[in-house]
Amino acid sequence: MNAGPPTSLADRPVTPSRRRVLARTRLDFWLDALMLVAYTLAYSLGFTGIATHEWLGIGLGVVLLIHITLHWDWVIRITRKLLLPGGRERFIWLVNLLLLGSMTLCIASGILISEVALPQLGIYLPGSPFWREVHNVTATLTLILVPIHAALRWRWIAGMARRFAGWRPGRSR
Amino acid sequence: MKFLRHLAAVVFVVAVIVTLGMLWAHVSGGVDTGLGPMRVPSGKAFGPIRANLIGARPGDGFHLDDTRNLIRTCEIEAVLAAVVITVSAIRRRERRLRRAAAERYM
Repeated sequence: MNAGPPTSLADRPVTPSRRRVLARTRLDFWLDALMLVAYTLAYSLGFTGIATHEWLGIGLGVVLLIHITLHWDWVIRITRKLLLPGGRERFIWLVNLLLLGSMTLCIASGILISEVALPQLGIYLPGSPFWREVHNVTATLTLILVPIHAALRWRWIAGMARRFAGWRPGRSR
Repeated sequence: MKFLRHLAAVVFVVAVIVTLGMLWAHVSGGVDTGLGPMRVPSGKAFGPIRANLIGARPGDGFHLDDTRNLIRTCEIEAVLAAVVITVSAIRRRERRLRRAAAERYM
């Protein structure tokens, strides 16, 4: 693929460990994109209808677990550094913590008030106005936090998008 | 193995959050236990935005004729992301200028 000697980091020969890193980066990028699209669709209840909304929500719960598991090292690293000076990572950590709490409660309350998905599985839970309201509030809070969470990493997202699109500055395609 | 260890930790954290939610429901009497009146958390502050969640349509599949909800959600996300990116870019530029100025005086 790369003719001639390496000229930049991106042109380095692909070793097995580098291939692993690239595969992991690609997985992170597409999983994050999938979550963003899924949440956007799930929040647009008038567009999806209740059944799709509920199944998307349950799927989001599973993907959320995988997403946090893949970034658990970051969580531990930043949590350990919380007491040290340096504001940006601390702010991101706080946004992420709020998002985790809000999204978890949103999905859990959504399951508790499920009208279609769980009954389809033969599970009937007594819905309550409390969980309905918790679902509404946390869904809106999540809607606010999701773009903030993504935008705080916009440079990484833009870099990855450029790389996957095969575009590099100063190089014609 | 490492993945499973991390997954277990994440499941534990999620379980803690859900348990706290259950406790909240119990303490506020939010879940109908028959012991008293129910109080629900107020979401009035989100009034204009949460309209998306109201007016759910029954039935399966996407309602391609009604994209207003979807467009509105995308607009809210885009505006918030744009604000954060703008603030972040301004702050980054200021940091760079400050660093350049400090280097000039050294």
